[in-house]
Amino acid sequence: MADGMETLATPKVKKRFGVNFNIALILILIALIAVIGTVNPTFVTYNYLMAVVVKNIMEIGLMALPMTLIVITAGIDLSVGSIMIFSAIAGGMAAASMGDGMGVIVTLLVGAGCGLVNGLVIVKLKINALITTLATFFLFRGIAKGITHGDSVYSYDFTTFAGNTDIKGVPLVLIVFIAAAIIFTLLLSKTGFGRSLYALGMNENATRYSGINADRTLIIIYIISGVVCAIAAFFYLGRFTSVKFDVANSMNLKVVTVIVLGGTSILGGVGDMRGTIIAIFIIAVLNSGLTVMDIPIDVQTIIQGTVLIISLIVYSILGERAKKRRVIEVSKEDEPRLVDKAPA
Amino acid sequence: MEQTSLRQAPDGKGKFKKMLTTEFYLLVFLVAILVMMRIAAPDFYSLNTIMTVLNYFSYLLIAAIGMNLIIITSNIDVAAGAIMSVVAIVIAFVGKTGAPLPVFMAVGMVVGLVLSWVNGLFITKLKIPAIVATLATTQLFVGALPLVVEGSIYDLPASFTWLAFRAKLFGALPASVVFAAVITVGFMLFMRYSRFSKKLYAVGNNKYAATLTGINVNKVMILAFVIAGPLYGIAGTIIATGGQRVTTTMANGFEMTLIAAVVLGGTSIAGGSGKIIGTVLGAFILSLITPAMNYIGMSSDWSDAVMGGIILLAVVVASISTLTKKKKTIVVPDAVVSASASSSGEVK
Repeated sequence: MADGMETLATPKVKKRFGVNFNIALILILIALIAVIGTVNPTFVTYNYLMAVVVKNIMEIGLMALPMTLIVITAGIDLSVGSIMIFSAIAGGMAAASMGDGMGVIVTLLVGAGCGLVNGLVIVKLKINALITTLATFFLFRGIAKGITHGDSVYSYDFTTFAGNTDIKGVPLVLIVFIAAAIIFTLLLSKTGFGRSLYALGMNENATRYSGINADRTLIIIYIISGVVCAIAAFFYLGRFTSVKFDVANSMNLKVVTVIVLGGTSILGGVGDMRGTIIAIFIIAVLNSGLTVMDIPIDVQTIIQGTVLIISLIVYSILGERAKKRRVIEVSKEDEPRLVDKAPA
Repeated sequence: MEQTSLRQAPDGKGKFKKMLTTEFYLLVFLVAILVMMRIAAPDFYSLNTIMTVLNYFSYLLIAAIGMNLIIITSNIDVAAGAIMSVVAIVIAFVGKTGAPLPVFMAVGMVVGLVLSWVNGLFITKLKIPAIVATLATTQLFVGALPLVVEGSIYDLPASFTWLAFRAKLFGALPASVVFAAVITVGFMLFMRYSRFSKKLYAVGNNKYAATLTGINVNKVMILAFVIAGPLYGIAGTIIATGGQRVTTTMANGFEMTLIAAVVLGGTSIAGGSGKIIGTVLGAFILSLITPAMNYIGMSSDWSDAVMGGIILLAVVVASISTLTKKKKTIVVPDAVVSASASSSGEVK
């Protein structure tokens, strides 16, 4: 599978831009840390960085990893927050009645099950991913609300351990995140499976004709997304000691923000796991940094929105250039011609 | 024999037939709910409950019609809820001075129009996919509100809540329902007779082909947002006037319900299809769910799950019917695809 994919011309174009972009993102990250650190030196202390800056973003960070895979295939998963809460709540209830072990198993099974439902509906019934996951966003959250009657579910020993353990000041969740980030980066950039995701995002029909089992590939990434949401659920439940069904309502959009900032095109076919990882830390530094600088939370929302818009504009300009280059390299496509003819 | 004749029917006719069934199924489903409520919980048909349902239905429908236009052009607007929240706060400022309904409603419509226009500009001029563009503007709108207002505007005068409490036709029917009826009929006529509405479908179906036939794609898309804006404004006004206190988060998250109503109504998220009557039925079914569940003794805690289930069921049924239709004619699209692929290769 991998040999066939290497002849694709497009990943090369992506790579040229991807690398430049990641350097730009890293520079932005360093600049942000430098500015905030100068204004308020406590921000750059080891403890603060670990306990506040990093820890607050890690659940979103974990979920952003598999979401990058999904967005590269031109899909999207709006149900991530609901899957996390549903699996946390189901696990918490199972742990309360049947012990911790059962809680862990139920959490993971619910996460995988939700991902499987998304994947099957999207792939087998050919329903747009946006619509499917919008419906399951309500469905999973609704089931979580129904089984708890809107009440809170409390942390159990395992999640308390997961959410509050530090190893020499490094939170356990960060270690898990780094491991996951390495696995996902390798999966996307070094395996045939990762290549097939780009191919699916560029042209699903062509990918099917080239002999890739597209259905299986897509279902697998939605299941992976569900399982990672369940893993994030352990840390989330442990960190907050109790959760209600509606605490993660806007989490899906936060995850999408991270991915778009990281340079993955929402239209599919273009993206990079390293970009996502850097973007997670940029958002983390922005969130906590603005708090440290006594900027009210509402201004933070505006700043995040502005960052997102600027990154979108920059990516759109560069995307146009890449497209024009691709026109010369490959063939004349519909899109560029449309662009040329569009009146100013 | 029956099937062959169906397949050979002219395109327009076959499409028309398909559309009819989508709305027909919805109508059957709706009637089934209403009949079931009649049998299971006769109390449901009290004047009070019906008027409450109708009031919610009216503003859901008005905003959903705007969302429908946007989705027909193959865009989506996740900033709708945020726009309505902004509208609610702005008209509360105006209404606090004792201004009458026509004044602050007009202000609300203008605010909706401007904000929605900004969305349209982002999507067309900067070529940002609609979902991320409106996601970004949502954060701007939601973030800007609490800077202007702290939490809520309260102690609003009677002139502000007049629409919700006093403006009733025949002593019972809320005026908001009249608004919804007028707007719905207006847009049904508009979609049927105006040339512009055909452009909406053309753009949603195939942007490239639309450009070739001389349609200004960007202009059509921006206009869809510009038309949707005032509708959000009216819906936001009805929501805001429901009480003496207007909060900054009043309509946040409402966009999901709007999209759900539109999708349930048979509009494809890929664009190019969908009817106003479908959105009417979809919105009505969604506005029935919570009160209906209350009356048959189910906990309303399950209403979100039921709503998600119904949307999923609706799209699954629609997809299965199109999938079976496709299987019968699959040879044709495949040939077309491969032919166009090879010809574009030769161009190089």
